[in-house]
Amino acid sequence: MQQAEIHKFLIQYFESNDCEIVETHPGYFVVQLTIDQDKLLMNRPFYWHYLEKTGGEPNPAKLTIITDPEQAPDDIKGEFIHFGSPRLHQIFETTKQLSSYIRLFEDCKSSSQQNPLFPWLGLNVKVSFQCNRKKDIFLSLGLNLISGQIHEAFHDQVLSLSVTPKIPDYSYTLSPLIMPKSGIARLDTHIRTSLSFEDHSWAEEAFTRWNNDLELLENFYQDQDKGESYETEKEALREQYEPRISIKVINGGLFYLSEAAI
Amino acid sequence: MKIHVDFDSQWEEGLLDKIESDGPWANWELYKLAVEVEKHLVVPEFEGLQAPKHLPQLKPLPHQLEAAREVVENMHGKAILGDEVGLGKTIEAGLILKEYMIRGLVKKVLILVPASLVSQWAYELNSKFHIPAVAQRKSYVWEAYDVVISSIDTAKKQPHRDIIFEQQYDLIIVDEAHKLKNNKTKNYEFVQSLKKKFCLLLTATPIQNRVDEIFHLVSLLKPGHLGNASLFAERFKGKKRDLNEDKRLKELVNKVMIRNRRADTGIEWTKRHVETVLIEFTEQERALYEAVSAFKPYGNESIGSAFSTLTLQREACSSRESVYYTLKKMLQKTEDPDAFYETKLKPIYALIDSIEQNSKAEKALELIKKIEDKVIIFTEYRATQMYLQWFLKTNGISSVPFRGGFKRGKKDWMKDLFEKQFQVLIATEAGGEGINLQFCHHLINFDLPWNPMRLEQRIGRVHRLGQEHDVMIYNFATRNTVEEHILKLLYDKIQLFERVVGELDDILTKLDIGKIEDYLIDVVGHSKTEGEMRIKMENLSSMISFAQDIKKGEMNAASGNS
Repeated sequence: MQQAEIHKFLIQYFESNDCEIVETHPGYFVVQLTIDQDKLLMNRPFYWHYLEKTGGEPNPAKLTIITDPEQAPDDIKGEFIHFGSPRLHQIFETTKQLSSYIRLFEDCKSSSQQNPLFPWLGLNVKVSFQCNRKKDIFLSLGLNLISGQIHEAFHDQVLSLSVTPKIPDYSYTLSPLIMPKSGIARLDTHIRTSLSFEDHSWAEEAFTRWNNDLELLENFYQDQDKGESYETEKEALREQYEPRISIKVINGGLFYLSEAAI
Repeated sequence: MKIHVDFDSQWEEGLLDKIESDGPWANWELYKLAVEVEKHLVVPEFEGLQAPKHLPQLKPLPHQLEAAREVVENMHGKAILGDEVGLGKTIEAGLILKEYMIRGLVKKVLILVPASLVSQWAYELNSKFHIPAVAQRKSYVWEAYDVVISSIDTAKKQPHRDIIFEQQYDLIIVDEAHKLKNNKTKNYEFVQSLKKKFCLLLTATPIQNRVDEIFHLVSLLKPGHLGNASLFAERFKGKKRDLNEDKRLKELVNKVMIRNRRADTGIEWTKRHVETVLIEFTEQERALYEAVSAFKPYGNESIGSAFSTLTLQREACSSRESVYYTLKKMLQKTEDPDAFYETKLKPIYALIDSIEQNSKAEKALELIKKIEDKVIIFTEYRATQMYLQWFLKTNGISSVPFRGGFKRGKKDWMKDLFEKQFQVLIATEAGGEGINLQFCHHLINFDLPWNPMRLEQRIGRVHRLGQEHDVMIYNFATRNTVEEHILKLLYDKIQLFERVVGELDDILTKLDIGKIEDYLIDVVGHSKTEGEMRIKMENLSSMISFAQDIKKGEMNAASGNS
């Protein structure tokens, strides 16, 4: 993430959370937090607890955030935020926390005609391949809860539509034939099946390393009793090398889309 | 081949809840942002380092990045970091730790370091790497925090030991790991019994170890890598062989060890220029020096009297204040203070009173004015430190004091004041836990420590990676005193000051003459004549140059030049 992207991201984050951007300049900006955001970001539970007990005037913090120290004036006191800063990662976490579940309707903007909207289950997931090393891929999948059709790159597709949180006039939703619970199970199966066609040499190599080290370990304990430390070492090797794949949902929800949408 | 696949079921439960209670649903803008965020956080490749992207303010050197990459990609996260002193092993360890944390391979971390380095590590990991590492001070810390730093001595004791064994650590880092060369010690057993999924052992002196020591160190990391104990012992039985002599063994060790040498890193070290500044006593100062030289506080030949006389002589070369302070302490310890004062101290106090100027301080003032740049003054004595601060102040030069005993925060504050406002910093202790002052390149040794390692630490504060100028070192010594002896015979002869960081460390380890400081005290304090002292000094200096030659030979052998 470049500094300019971070700047844009932060402004969007604060605006989506109803925080007022008090000042904005190249390289830095000042934001007035709402009470909710103060509680989420400022890590001062005692202050809020005290205020609630005493009924005092809440005074949420105002932050000065510097995204480019070169451009910001030298005398500005604020927090420099870059890709590695704990503050940014805290905001990343909060963003994800606040947006796990969504329900949206496509706004077809059509005149008077009645519009049927099809229910879709959309999931954005991170698939991680892990042994002593790790890599991830991002997947976005959509499942039509009537036809059972699965669509990849679903998120990008929805981005191109006009959507709204309230059901638009002249639109009505069709009832799903597949329940969300079994929908998730179908998507899980779909991901597992597609994973089985992937190249898994990384896992084979990890098994080989694991076996080599196990052999060395056996050899080391050849002439002494295999007590607790042997078991510990063996377990350590399993944790170090054992190949695993984990599928983690970032966010998702129900999307009601017109027949023409996808 | 079967790979275990795990689908996170928590999200599913949440969704069903939301459907049940018809919301609340997330805001679309935020939802889109979360996807953006995740796309940035996904690491699509097994290879390569992510950590540098997260640490824009850290400027790692090429050999440090290479070391981190090598450990993660080819050593599978279990390695000995054995760079020579001063090349930044801590930076390498920090990079590796950060890399694993970013990739989500490591969460719980145990860092075992000498007690004196605990806060330094916590400070560096927090400030340089944004890793929320916590120094272990209370027993709840083990469970409450993910990255904990402690000394082995604390960790191996109850109740800590049991709590530690209940934790699931992903990475264990041991600093100064050469202390674990003996597998019979409690510390060794403790580290051995920890579960080490990933493990880093940091040591600057792995190669000097005898083969069995390297065997124990490697077995801690990767048991069986060098075979088992009985086979190993058989192969090397009775041979006190050096690791370098066995090619096969060396290859094996290199598979689990990073060993950068100063010469290979291609880093240009700035030079050290040393200037000896000889100072003449005033008549009164000379009188005090002669008086303390003849001073026998506890009768004539009692034990320790050579030591206290030497201490007083050295102090007389520094400042009358430090002499006064030591005498005062002596007085407090004597059984009959009144008599001691009347017979022994009164004449010396009179001499102290008669001194009107400190010749060294005058010289220092002159030098500081000439330099017109940041200067660090080191002295062995607190009394001298306070005097100098006052003296410079009355001459219009403001300075900041620095002591090893300062708390971390105060140290940083003093460093900051020195960097931004004041011309002079007066320090009594360089200490391993000191600060890095590479923005300064003038150093005055107001008096000389007799332990060369302390001298090396002093110089190491300014002559380190990041120093852009040649370093100027001014050694003050008063003519016709013990100071001049030490300076001439030892420091000038073996050119101690011009050596590069860390070299002396190696040489002294090789020599194994115990504490060099004690040796010097013995030589200076107990030699009956000047001649005897000179001969003993010559012996020492030839021993050191001998050790140095051996080392040179080894370096050539190691790099294949011989």
